[in-house]
Amino acid sequence: MSIEAINEQLLRAIGVGVALLDRKTLKFNFHNDTFEEWFGNPDETTTLQDMFAELDIDELNAGLRENRRFTTETKFKKKRRTMVIALDFTAAHEKQREIAVLVCQNITRIRELESMIDSYSTMVERNTREIKREKEQVEKLLLNLMPRSVYEEYKTFGVVTPQLYDPVSVLMLDFIGFSEKVTSLDPGVTVTELNDIYSAFDRIGEQFGCERIKTVGDAYVTVAGVPDPTPDHAKSVANAAIRFVRYLERRNASHPHQWQCRIGLATGSVIGSVVGIQKYVYDIFGPAVHLATQLQNFSSPMEISVQHEMARSLNDLFEMTDQGARMIPGFSEQPVWRLLDNRKTPAGRAV
Amino acid sequence: MSERTLFEKYGGFSKVSKIVMAFYDTLLDSDDIGPFFDDIDMSRMVDHQTKFISSLLGGPASYSDNQLRQFHTHLKIEDAHFDEMKTVLEATLVDHGFVPDDIQTVMQSIETRRNLVVG
Repeated sequence: MSIEAINEQLLRAIGVGVALLDRKTLKFNFHNDTFEEWFGNPDETTTLQDMFAELDIDELNAGLRENRRFTTETKFKKKRRTMVIALDFTAAHEKQREIAVLVCQNITRIRELESMIDSYSTMVERNTREIKREKEQVEKLLLNLMPRSVYEEYKTFGVVTPQLYDPVSVLMLDFIGFSEKVTSLDPGVTVTELNDIYSAFDRIGEQFGCERIKTVGDAYVTVAGVPDPTPDHAKSVANAAIRFVRYLERRNASHPHQWQCRIGLATGSVIGSVVGIQKYVYDIFGPAVHLATQLQNFSSPMEISVQHEMARSLNDLFEMTDQGARMIPGFSEQPVWRLLDNRKTPAGRAV
Repeated sequence: MSERTLFEKYGGFSKVSKIVMAFYDTLLDSDDIGPFFDDIDMSRMVDHQTKFISSLLGGPASYSDNQLRQFHTHLKIEDAHFDEMKTVLEATLVDHGFVPDDIQTVMQSIETRRNLVVG
């Protein structure tokens, strides 16, 4: 067998379609078995356009002339599968004749895999977006439970180191007759009312630089100086306390359900930390919290009791009246002051 | 920790992609169920099979019951077609090294959706 014969046999048997065309007439001089399997059997009168109706012959000729190459794709159905074949034309010479060599590669699988990757990446991208959204929700939720700096620490290290904050001011508020309200009101109404009031308190507190720590039923605790120290901590809670009372008075005037509060304010140190492992919550502990709780018990409805030490730092800015010395469990007997809203009571007494 | 899905157990997308392609080939060749795909565009068909296999194995796709019903409602699929699809899929999973217990899990999961597809 001659080399030429071997070459021809190879050409016939390979999995790539091959055809030789006359450059001028674009009629077939030769095609191999694979070509025939895909596109049928061209005879000597069949032109390229007959075989590939959608092929742009002008474009092909221009390509061969300028680059001596032209590449395109064709599709057809084999049984019900869409076959995609890449057609690659190269200009060549055979002896004196100008010919075009057409090489056809089956790229069906590549196209199918590309479609699969498209499909899969769309799914994954959508999932990633959903996960991102969920993560933001979780973050939002956690930021409701703890200050941002504490959350950052928790996120980075997985734990929160208890931290001493000194000095800070604590505001403790509770509602009078809450137990009776809970039993007389529809539970849904109670929750809606508290939600409404606490949201307003949160907004007011934020305005004056207070960080709400928690609400336990009818008790609302907010603090200034945690986690970022501020020299105005006493002023912040005093301003918030006065506005809490103003807000409730205005609200009571137009709402069917009346809410009367008592407030205690105290300055001192607290320790802030995340407590619990599964159901963790950020909380503060310490003398300032204890004092504020005790002082709030001394308040009459819609009144604000202030610890002596704190009252001294507020006397330039707020009006207060002396309530006399009181015995505070766990502390020595000390004067307690009442914080007045100077909008309502111009005559007060300085400390 | 949540339980590992079959999708993860059998090597994630790099393995599942091979199952998808093998399943796709067999479906197209089948004379019983192949005709349902006669006029379907290739990329849509591949997209459908990718999502189908992924969701079946607990991957990043899930079809709701309503979607499944909607996709198949105009196709007049009969029980025999559904059975054939199950047979083809089972063979594909066997070919790709799925253990019998896992194949049974997949088959049961498909079976619960029969009434959404047939009819």
